[in-house]
Amino acid sequence: MNAVLLSGLLGVVMMFASFLFRTKAPVRILAILGMAVLLVANVLDTKGIHFFHVNTTGFLSFTGYALFFNTIVIACTLIFFLISSKDMQKVGNHYAEYFALIFFILTGIFLVTAFTNLLILFIGIEIISIPLYILTGSAKKDLKSNEAALKYFLMGAFSTGVMLMGIALIYGATGTFDITKMNIAGLLKSNLLTAGMLMLLFSMCFKVSIAPFHFWTPDVYDGAPNVFTSFMATIVKVGIFVGFLHLFYTAFDAIALQWKIWMAVLAALTLLVGNITAVFQQSVKRMLAYSSISQAGFMLFALVAMNETAHEGLLLYAIAYCLATIGVFGIISKMTDYSFDGFNGLAGHQPLVALCVAIFMLSLAGIPLSAGFLAKFYMLKAVIQAGGYMWLVIFGVLMAAVSAYYYFRVIQAMYFKEGPNHFSGISAFEKCVLVGICVLIVFTGLFPNIIFGWMYF
Amino acid sequence: MVNLAIQTNLDTSGSYLPIGLQLLFAAGMIVTLMGVTHLLGPKRRTADKLQNFASGIESHGEARQPIAIKYFLTAILFVLFDVEVIFFYPYAVNFRELGWSGFYAVLLFVAFFLCGFIYIIRRGALKWED
Repeated sequence: MNAVLLSGLLGVVMMFASFLFRTKAPVRILAILGMAVLLVANVLDTKGIHFFHVNTTGFLSFTGYALFFNTIVIACTLIFFLISSKDMQKVGNHYAEYFALIFFILTGIFLVTAFTNLLILFIGIEIISIPLYILTGSAKKDLKSNEAALKYFLMGAFSTGVMLMGIALIYGATGTFDITKMNIAGLLKSNLLTAGMLMLLFSMCFKVSIAPFHFWTPDVYDGAPNVFTSFMATIVKVGIFVGFLHLFYTAFDAIALQWKIWMAVLAALTLLVGNITAVFQQSVKRMLAYSSISQAGFMLFALVAMNETAHEGLLLYAIAYCLATIGVFGIISKMTDYSFDGFNGLAGHQPLVALCVAIFMLSLAGIPLSAGFLAKFYMLKAVIQAGGYMWLVIFGVLMAAVSAYYYFRVIQAMYFKEGPNHFSGISAFEKCVLVGICVLIVFTGLFPNIIFGWMYF
Repeated sequence: MVNLAIQTNLDTSGSYLPIGLQLLFAAGMIVTLMGVTHLLGPKRRTADKLQNFASGIESHGEARQPIAIKYFLTAILFVLFDVEVIFFYPYAVNFRELGWSGFYAVLLFVAFFLCGFIYIIRRGALKWED
């Protein structure tokens, strides 16, 4: 509960900061300090020290898993602030409000990871979505950003409508919004329940861009300002994924026979569409948008497997995917040319930056010794343990091999081609952050048990 | 009237038959009434009658012309705060029953409300002249 209330309050504080401070530096420092306080508060919550005593019975339940995941989300956002907060100034004049909206989005994520009531799920998803529509269109003078915001808003509002209809049908079938008290096993043949469950499935798939509900993703990620693409492609996506897993694990496990095969088909389709389309992209930013679709396909493996390994795997995936993608976007927002050719010869101009990009790309591709490898390994292991979906595992490995092609294209452009410098410069502090992210990625890849140790102590 | 047997099991498509019938009846009613008035009613088309209704004055210009964004901003802020004020009514009705805890809850609500209000005033959202 600490994190939920504090992040909401910090959002309001950032709103006020917009007229209390004349310059931008104090706003940035305040935001970073606020995020650090949030991190401490959430860790204390994990340890059993609660600042607020609010009775949330029947609405929210902060399990160790949810709290640990929230810690990961806050830590990733802190890293995101450290590396990208300066670039946010380039987006527009409402600097403090961008931070406020990000704090509000975090509130939504905390609700979505800990809900036990479908109403809270809905409110959480909305608290996440509405600030995202604004952030997508925050570059007001950029036509592509406007287009992206409008598309995202229209489609997002529609999918929210589908979700509400699904919740209504489930309420009609079970008579409760509480996912722990639904007693679904007694309603195996209820058409109402199946229809509601499918509608929830579709709308959640839309929010995490699973094929065939992914069509908004490339345009929105491409049109939104770089810094906000970085945030919504990583932290928001894994946040909703944990809610997705929690929903289906707690509420619909009893009717798993009805949806599991479709989940596997969706995962395979997402991997296929994401990877094959990413191969043909000319812009690294757009390639990363498709790569985020294909990574979502891998995360969907957790919903096919539905076991303890899947839960651990999703955590690892969240860490690996968020860190690497935030790092890459931190560098992209300092480039003047986002195409693959823009990266030509980067190793000659900026050897350290190029090395970091190479490590991020290797992690995203899932090369051993990186966090990305371990994350993919856990996902595949979870599906094998669950049994019955060997074809999906083989297909996943094949698609991971395809993904290596487009990630390695960036490395090849940096190291084996010559070109003019498109990099606009980076401060020493940001270089340290980049190196820190790389160290974290390798560390997680080498010693995952330490992370799980934190989770269960 | 046909007596419809309503099944005890609520979760079958059969139990939605009355609703379906009602929908059909509603649609049929509208279609019939509109059709009958169009067919039977007298029609005298004059230039004045075919004009758009603009509250009694003669209409002029297009309705779709660009309007300054501040009108929308003011309008949407009005709607927002108007809706928030409506929440006082249910509290006012249950003022005694809710006691002090209800009072604190409403104070919290007002505090958030004021935060938003101070924010829009200080950011100049209600400033009319540029």
